[in-house]
Amino acid sequence: MNDNLHIFETLKHYPLTIQFVWALSCLFFIFIILLTIYLKYLRSHLRVNEKKEAKYQEVYESYLVTYLYAGNNEEVFSSEQQVIINELKKDVADPFKRKIIISTLLKLRSEISGEIGESIDKLYIKLGLLRYSLAKLRNKKWDVIATGIRELTQFKIKAVHKMVLNNINHPKREVRKEMQLYLVHLYGFNGLEFLNVLETPLSEWDQIQLLEILQLNNDTQVADIKPWLNSSNDSIVIFALKLAKVYNQFEAKEELITLLNHNSEDVRINVISALSHLHLFEATTILKNNFSERSEEEQIAFLKMMENVYEASDKPFLLEHVHHKNSEIRLSIMEILKNINFEEYTLYDDDIKKILTA
Amino acid sequence: MSIIPYFFLVFSVVAIASYVILAIISAVETIEYMKKNSFINYKEILSSTFSPSISIIAPAYNESLNIVENVRSLLSSHYVNYDVIIVNDGSKDDSLSKLIKAYDLIQIDYLINEHIKTKPLRSGIYKSTNPAFDKLTVVDKKNGGKADALNMGLNISKSKYVACIDVDCLLLEDALQKLIKPFLETTDAKVIAAGGVIRIANSCTVKDGKLLDINFPKTWLEQGQILEYLRAFLLGRMAWSRLNGLLVISGAFGLFDKKIAIKVGGYDTNTVGEDMEIIVRMRRYMEDEKQKYKVAYIPDPLCWTEAPDNYKTFISQRNRWTRGTIETLKKHRKIGFNPKYKSLGLISYPYWLFFERLAPIIEVAGIIYFGILIFLDEVRWDYAFAFIIMAYLFSVLFSIVAIVSEELTYHQYKKKSIGLKLVMIAFLEPFVNHPTILYSAIRGNIDYYFYKKIEWGEMTRKGMTKA
Amino acid sequence: MSTIKKIVLAEDNSVLSLLLKFRLEKEGYKLLIAVNGKQAIELIEEYNPELILTDIMMPFVSGLEVISHVRNKLNLQTPIIVFSSAGQEEIVIKAFDLGATDFMSKPFSPHELVIRIKRLLL
Repeated sequence: MNDNLHIFETLKHYPLTIQFVWALSCLFFIFIILLTIYLKYLRSHLRVNEKKEAKYQEVYESYLVTYLYAGNNEEVFSSEQQVIINELKKDVADPFKRKIIISTLLKLRSEISGEIGESIDKLYIKLGLLRYSLAKLRNKKWDVIATGIRELTQFKIKAVHKMVLNNINHPKREVRKEMQLYLVHLYGFNGLEFLNVLETPLSEWDQIQLLEILQLNNDTQVADIKPWLNSSNDSIVIFALKLAKVYNQFEAKEELITLLNHNSEDVRINVISALSHLHLFEATTILKNNFSERSEEEQIAFLKMMENVYEASDKPFLLEHVHHKNSEIRLSIMEILKNINFEEYTLYDDDIKKILTA
Repeated sequence: MSIIPYFFLVFSVVAIASYVILAIISAVETIEYMKKNSFINYKEILSSTFSPSISIIAPAYNESLNIVENVRSLLSSHYVNYDVIIVNDGSKDDSLSKLIKAYDLIQIDYLINEHIKTKPLRSGIYKSTNPAFDKLTVVDKKNGGKADALNMGLNISKSKYVACIDVDCLLLEDALQKLIKPFLETTDAKVIAAGGVIRIANSCTVKDGKLLDINFPKTWLEQGQILEYLRAFLLGRMAWSRLNGLLVISGAFGLFDKKIAIKVGGYDTNTVGEDMEIIVRMRRYMEDEKQKYKVAYIPDPLCWTEAPDNYKTFISQRNRWTRGTIETLKKHRKIGFNPKYKSLGLISYPYWLFFERLAPIIEVAGIIYFGILIFLDEVRWDYAFAFIIMAYLFSVLFSIVAIVSEELTYHQYKKKSIGLKLVMIAFLEPFVNHPTILYSAIRGNIDYYFYKKIEWGEMTRKGMTKA
Repeated sequence: MSTIKKIVLAEDNSVLSLLLKFRLEKEGYKLLIAVNGKQAIELIEEYNPELILTDIMMPFVSGLEVISHVRNKLNLQTPIIVFSSAGQEEIVIKAFDLGATDFMSKPFSPHELVIRIKRLLL
């Protein structure tokens, strides 16, 4: 006791700076001790949880599989299934276990379609999990809302779509996106109506996700993409062009050709790519005619397209540009000429040899 | 004469303040990122044919020991639209013949578009006759160094994006999906490059190109490096990305917009810090073009690589990093403190100049000054002692914060006693690794100014621990 | 003495493989499960199954390599059904080029799969 007092006494005689520095050092030291203890606790907690999770995952997986094959044709839920439902219902009340149950259901749901898929959806509702997902929609935190919407999407819950739509103007982009994915997942092309009013840009990532979901749906009734091709939102135009490509929208021929003169170079390049996919002859003629006025990017895109749809009559056009200053374009032209199999090709053999590093 | 201690004091205070600020920003950004990605289904982008094309370019020099397995690992990424270009940079061993045999390769004719001048081909370009390996292209060229090999890859690639990777880097299956995401979801700026977290694979069990078991290495040297990487990646990079001031993406793995990389002329073959130099050059280009851009960084672990496990290789590596930094900063000194380059010139460059490039010199100067004071018996021991203790405790605390952050985010080191070992190395590192790092930095400076022609240095491949 | 027909399944989704195992074993087949391509090849070489089911996207040794190995290195004519996630047309074509017998895109109906398996193992 006296010793400690002695240290403090000595300390008080030191200048303020040193006192301050020692105070900091003590603070740091305390934090180090606290954090180390916290670290130990955290690690063992995580370890225990992981073991628990693995165990429950196995249990629930086997419950699920048994459930799916325990049905019979008479009742909606057979007695065997009812037993499993009751078991699972008890665990659903515990958030930790509930999370694992949902993830197990989802793990299988994404791989399976048909009767068994619907059976999983019905189980989701029967277990009362729907209530929890809906509760998430009412939460204040944006990541919880988004998770809730995602769950509803994956279990294909249509009935609550009005509630989901409330989020159409949610400030957080992630929530709006989940909502868009929900609409498209459940309603296919009809779900794309939000494109008519969307003012924010649709990123490539968003576009890819939407396209993938549309493909999964096997919707034969393709929406009319013309209004989107005329959208003032460039990203929507690009998305519509992708749709034109994938779903062979020949009806939009006129609009596509008009788009060759769009303000945005990005749009023009995408149009060329869509046109090449659709093999539109009129487009090739137009592009050949104003080839020199177009940017290098567009020229490259056009020639990439030509590599697949060239014709003998293209020869004069190709020869005209064979000495283009851009090496990629020159190479492209020579590839096409090679394929058309002309004698002139041999005249440019040296040029090619210069490019080929041997 | 009494200004000198104040200079060191101010420098230390600013350094510490910057670490703390960067750590806080990193923490906030990482939490935000993890929230955003907690419900991303990467499977959607994994199987999409609409996802953009990526070429993985891996230069290889005398990697014969593991090359077949490394290539197989690169080929099994879960991305759909990608290909792998292995550039055999004039290896003197049997790398090429091993690859030809393992992957049924035959030589083909290929028209190379020489955007960037490189050393010429040696025996040519090879592709596989087996459709299961049609993603693979092997290029055999005359030796020109890592940068030259990467440039050859840039010339050959037909994809929109290129991922430059060290061939022995163990790439995680979903690494490409995760790393392409910033490029695809940023709408208000052009993402020109992106990087992620590199983890140290020493002592980890690798079987069939898959990371089976994550172990903590035995030597203090390796343990210290793990701690260093945790601090840098968890408490530093994320903040720089947010401030759009990132100057370096790890040379072990990074994703680039190919067109821009080629536009700026590819990698510089005259520097040993080509990974940092190309980022600075690409940034400078975008600034000059007045285009809005971003260099992105994601906190997800993407690949596992071997770190030096002996002092000789370690010193050589850090020496090279030092020289690389000096070369890059010198080459681009025009942007330093230049308001025309906004945050690149006014924040990133100065920070890198003072706290990366000059810091080791200032620290050593401080030590020498302290030594002189001792000799002259002019030390105020009360001040000195207090400060030294405080600095030491701060560095230990900072490391422990990094360790806790790792547990809260990715929790990769699950085994029982590793937590304690990490804390121990946090206490030991200032005495063990730090002096070696200082030494290599000084040597780097000396080598740079007095011995200009040092090669890249070969790291003898020991091979990752087999199961 | 009828021998039980063996099927090797290469699939890394544990619930899915459990489901298929349950279903197919009910139909009287014996299921051997592998979680990656390398393991699948080992099982195929050891047990010489009557049918192989494999996902295309798998760690380390892909489904395509499995097909190639079975047809070219082992020279077996075992029927092979591949699963692929929707949209990977190019890969499916490659699978058939290498010698796959049939393919099902995910998500798929297990019921449909069983029908196809039965048909192939007649």
